[in-house]
Amino acid sequence: MKKTDPISTEIIRNAFIAIAEDMNAGLIRSAYAPVIYEGKDCVVALLDENGNVLGQSSGLPLFLGNLEVCIKETARMFGWDIFKEGDIFFVNDSYFTGTHLNDATIYAPIFYKKTLVGFSASRAHWLDIGGKDPGGPMDSINIYQEGFRWAPTKIHENYKPRKDIIEFLKMNGRFGYTLEGDLNAQIAAGKLGEKRFLSLIDRFGLDMIKSAREEIFKQSEIIERQTVKKLKNGIYRAEGYLDNDGITKDPIKIKMTVSVKGEKITIDLKGSSEQKTGPVNCGFAQTVSACRVAFKNLINPKRPVDGGTFKTLEVKAPEGSIFSAKEPAACQWYFSILGLLIDAFIKALSPVMKNQSAAGHYGDSMVFILHGVDYRNNSPFIAVEPTPGGWGAWGDGDGADALINNVNGAFKDIPIEIYENKYPVTIRNYGIRKDTGGPGKMRGGNGLYKEYTVNTDLNLSLWFERSKTTGWGLFGGKDAIGPKVNLKFPNGKNEKRLKSNSYPIPAGTKVTTFTGGGGGFGNPFNRNPENVLEDVKNNYVSIPQAKKEYGVIITKNLKVDYIKTKKIRKGK
Amino acid sequence: MKYRIAADIGGTFTDFVIQEYESKKTFTSKVLSTPKNPAIAVMNGINKFKLDLKNIEFLVHGTTVGLNAFLERKGARVLLIMTAGVSDTYTIARGDRKTLYEVQYKKPKQLANKIDVHEVKERISWEGKIINTINQKDFDPIIKKINKENITAVAVCFLHSYINPKHEVLAKKILKKRIGDKVVISLSHEVAREWREYERSSTAVMNAYVGPVVNNYLAHLEKELLKNKYKKPLYIMQSNGGIIRAKTAIKNPVQTLLSGPVGGTIGGAALSKITNKPNLICVDMGGTSFDMSLIIDGKPNITNETEQESLPLLIPFVDIHTIGAGGGSIAWLEAGALRVGPQSAGAEPGPACYGKGGSNPTVTDANLYLGRIGPDSKLGGWMGLQIQESKKVLKQMSKKLNMTNTQLAEGILSIINAKMADAIRTITVKHGIDPRDFSLVAFGGAGSMHAVWIAEELEIKEIVVPPNPGTFSAWGMLQTDIRRDLNKNFFTILSEVKKKELQKEYDQLVHEASKLLISEGVKEKQMTFYQTADMRYIGQEYYVNISIDNKIDLNKINNNFHKTYKQKYGHSTPDAPVEIINLRLIAIGKVEKPIDYSKMKKENIINKTSKQNREIIFNGKKFKTQIINRSLIKKHDIYKGPLVIEEESATTVVPPNYSLVLDKMGNLIIKKIK
Repeated sequence: MKKTDPISTEIIRNAFIAIAEDMNAGLIRSAYAPVIYEGKDCVVALLDENGNVLGQSSGLPLFLGNLEVCIKETARMFGWDIFKEGDIFFVNDSYFTGTHLNDATIYAPIFYKKTLVGFSASRAHWLDIGGKDPGGPMDSINIYQEGFRWAPTKIHENYKPRKDIIEFLKMNGRFGYTLEGDLNAQIAAGKLGEKRFLSLIDRFGLDMIKSAREEIFKQSEIIERQTVKKLKNGIYRAEGYLDNDGITKDPIKIKMTVSVKGEKITIDLKGSSEQKTGPVNCGFAQTVSACRVAFKNLINPKRPVDGGTFKTLEVKAPEGSIFSAKEPAACQWYFSILGLLIDAFIKALSPVMKNQSAAGHYGDSMVFILHGVDYRNNSPFIAVEPTPGGWGAWGDGDGADALINNVNGAFKDIPIEIYENKYPVTIRNYGIRKDTGGPGKMRGGNGLYKEYTVNTDLNLSLWFERSKTTGWGLFGGKDAIGPKVNLKFPNGKNEKRLKSNSYPIPAGTKVTTFTGGGGGFGNPFNRNPENVLEDVKNNYVSIPQAKKEYGVIITKNLKVDYIKTKKIRKGK
Repeated sequence: MKYRIAADIGGTFTDFVIQEYESKKTFTSKVLSTPKNPAIAVMNGINKFKLDLKNIEFLVHGTTVGLNAFLERKGARVLLIMTAGVSDTYTIARGDRKTLYEVQYKKPKQLANKIDVHEVKERISWEGKIINTINQKDFDPIIKKINKENITAVAVCFLHSYINPKHEVLAKKILKKRIGDKVVISLSHEVAREWREYERSSTAVMNAYVGPVVNNYLAHLEKELLKNKYKKPLYIMQSNGGIIRAKTAIKNPVQTLLSGPVGGTIGGAALSKITNKPNLICVDMGGTSFDMSLIIDGKPNITNETEQESLPLLIPFVDIHTIGAGGGSIAWLEAGALRVGPQSAGAEPGPACYGKGGSNPTVTDANLYLGRIGPDSKLGGWMGLQIQESKKVLKQMSKKLNMTNTQLAEGILSIINAKMADAIRTITVKHGIDPRDFSLVAFGGAGSMHAVWIAEELEIKEIVVPPNPGTFSAWGMLQTDIRRDLNKNFFTILSEVKKKELQKEYDQLVHEASKLLISEGVKEKQMTFYQTADMRYIGQEYYVNISIDNKIDLNKINNNFHKTYKQKYGHSTPDAPVEIINLRLIAIGKVEKPIDYSKMKKENIINKTSKQNREIIFNGKKFKTQIINRSLIKKHDIYKGPLVIEEESATTVVPPNYSLVLDKMGNLIIKKIK
């Protein structure tokens, strides 16, 4: 067997990364659904013949490293013989993939001279998969309401598309052609990966590739072990709550215990809530994935992921809990608790990783949906968007204002000009929501507000979370202000609500969404008064807030009154 | 004698290409740039040739003045005016993340501070109707601030101004009356007539930000030229690959942001025509970066929007892709494994062989060690490279890796070459093309030293090194035409479009464009118009730009869309509905170019008399290799590798198993021996 050398290993390693990135770029650019091309709600990977990752590129951090599960599970169910040349597989079952049914995983074996040498795989969010509500319900109480549910299925067999299956899928989704377009984009991405992998094998030979792969995995593992080893051994904890499951009023607890021992980190989620009636449950595969994202945020964030990464990380969650949901738990909003889980991991380890940590962020996607019929062209429409909010501050930086949440991809807020063109809605007010970031030596980022006036009768669906556990402060920094949504009806009546499922609102209703801020870092009384003044000038902090939270007196002509400031800061 | 001149003003050198009209001879030259006042270098360069400025018929230049002002954040303080209620749009910048695994995430720094973003009450609807008229009183405090704080640049971006610019025009009128003449006023609809208020405001702000700097520079240069009796128009290279008069550029300075770098690609397009090679991959390798661009079917690839340092710009740009790979790229170790780049040793300390304390081997050190660069080469202005320093740092690393110096040096080059090839693959994948159908054109300092290996990785059959690769960008500027880009938002489902309606829209754009070209001194018979449209499947965000025949055929447009989509992405859905977003018009004013490529003067001859030899390592073996000055290469003789061709601005390395010929235009053509 031909063994690799440092030069070939590095060339092959760079090639694996480049292949995955090109696959992902292709998928994102040619996808139909905005949630893929803008939300980057997708991931691709090139894997070896055992289902280990060679190269991965993820649009959405949450999908970090759970594609291999699909291949390994398929093999476990049907045996490795199931993978034949010219086959392409499809699966979307939540308990299998860990995410919601909208996430379609497409994977295909790669053969080189009749031998199985690897897999291409991708996962992308399909717009509609035939659940009870367009796009996916907000109040489902079991998985059967959420859409079609598939075990591993050959969607292409022996180089031919299975038209019967594809028609079935199209027929069951509300937007058939987008479904087919996204499926084709995924298949094309897989083919690109296959082609490039085969030409790499042609060049280096299969033995060399395998030998280099072992070397690359080993390098990744060593680098991670070295980083973890430097952490102080101990047990670290954090906990927090989601508001509710959308059905009942009970808060949902997440409890995390992180133990660091030598070169190993274990995340145990024992003590977290049992699985819930509402759609907030998550499959174990996805919980592992979210823990990996959390881990990656602190441990070597810039290094690409491969089969050698995460060997030092173990994840445990009790079966039947919200983090390891069982049939028939509803899973549509599986990601809400994961945003909190990531914040919790960073908080838990902050005592030993102060420089890498950051305070909590506003926490969830804050999804805003309007649907109905556009009176201008009589067409039905659905407008879905997540809303940015404030992020937590850290050792030497203020948190970002109005930034998309951690479990989302690179989602861009929809421009007002496009929104008003596409939907019968007018947006008159949109801006940074001052005083919502947690005060601290470093200030938490502010959330935002956005006022929508609907110009015809429409339905409103909302999923706004994290009003109970807002973006928490760290090291003496304070917690942030949480979200709210105000409805002002044309008859003058007002209403506040954070969640709703297809709630009818008449023409002329103004809906204003307010997202929360991020937590502060360090004692706010230690913040440089000049920075507080800048914040006041820029309208991030009000004059009363400067006094109350920061102990800084700002005069009417916008100067710091140092004498009074000194006094007030000493007084507390 | 009459002349045409191009000046490419870079950070270190200003390059010149001068062409005689009658004899059609071409000369090149380099002078040191004068960053404080770039006009001085231009005058120095012209004076070096002892030309009478009266005899210059045509003068074009490319400049990085605006780009540098932006990159170094030394532009003007900009005050931005937006629609009341939504002015934070600019600061929020759509709230997206550019990198995903960072809990300590910083948003890209905007060019206008939040405190300088102001609101005026006004409102136009999505269909362009005025809902609220503009409130003139709201301007009072803004005007007071501009005057009091000596603000020199103002940008205005109102909602839906791309469809009805009335309020922006009115705002300019109001401002003009009460602020100084010298204040640059940048209206978003004039800079970028496209929807998306954040992107449009960002473009308008960039225009205002570089405006005063670029305008000062242009005014200064024109004055200097006039003083020396140059009375013809001064042309400037635009980011879109065409030229315009400096007087026009002053109105929209952002159009010239990439004025310098695009020259090479435009040179590539001209080379494509002259050599009859429609498909080229152009590469330019310098000390820290590697630039790639494509010529497909003889045309440079131009995108209609881009991001610079994460700030969006809705402006046509020649698509140049850059990665951090160059002569200065550093080799380093991680967990016992070898990595190369993207960090660069830069000019300080530079590669170890500069002898200025560089302690890691770089790509240049590897090239020097293997003999591919001669120790007496002029690199980064450094005479006399210290090969023993390269040896020392290679030795330190090769010991740790348990390999020989030669293995390490060749390995460093293999890794960096593979990285550059991967990057080229990425851009070809983006366009759905196969690099094997292309020729590789190498210019810039180090491009032709690595070109053969990059081509080998990509299975490209032919490498072209044009004459004077070091001044190729300036040469490119002499080969281009006057160009204006126009567009109009036209958001419609294709199946509902009427042919007449579409024709009318384009006719209007042509009418508008003709007027612009006339103001550039273009005669009607020199004008050419190209119609295109941005199209996509309904529901998509990204669009594909489709060219549209002057005689509109809706069926053909539809078919072309599906065809182009399939070519780019590998699949299409012919029965899915398609929509148009923008109509675009490229207006070209042909510039007379009496070029004869074969009469280019060769660069200065370093060693006229003898052919030299040097020992060079290829694939672990030492080869006695001929070093030949380019001017001594004879047309149509076949030279077999190993071989090194030296000229003042570049070194071309031809390994064993490759051969070289000089074509009749003077290009070096390198091919694999079968």
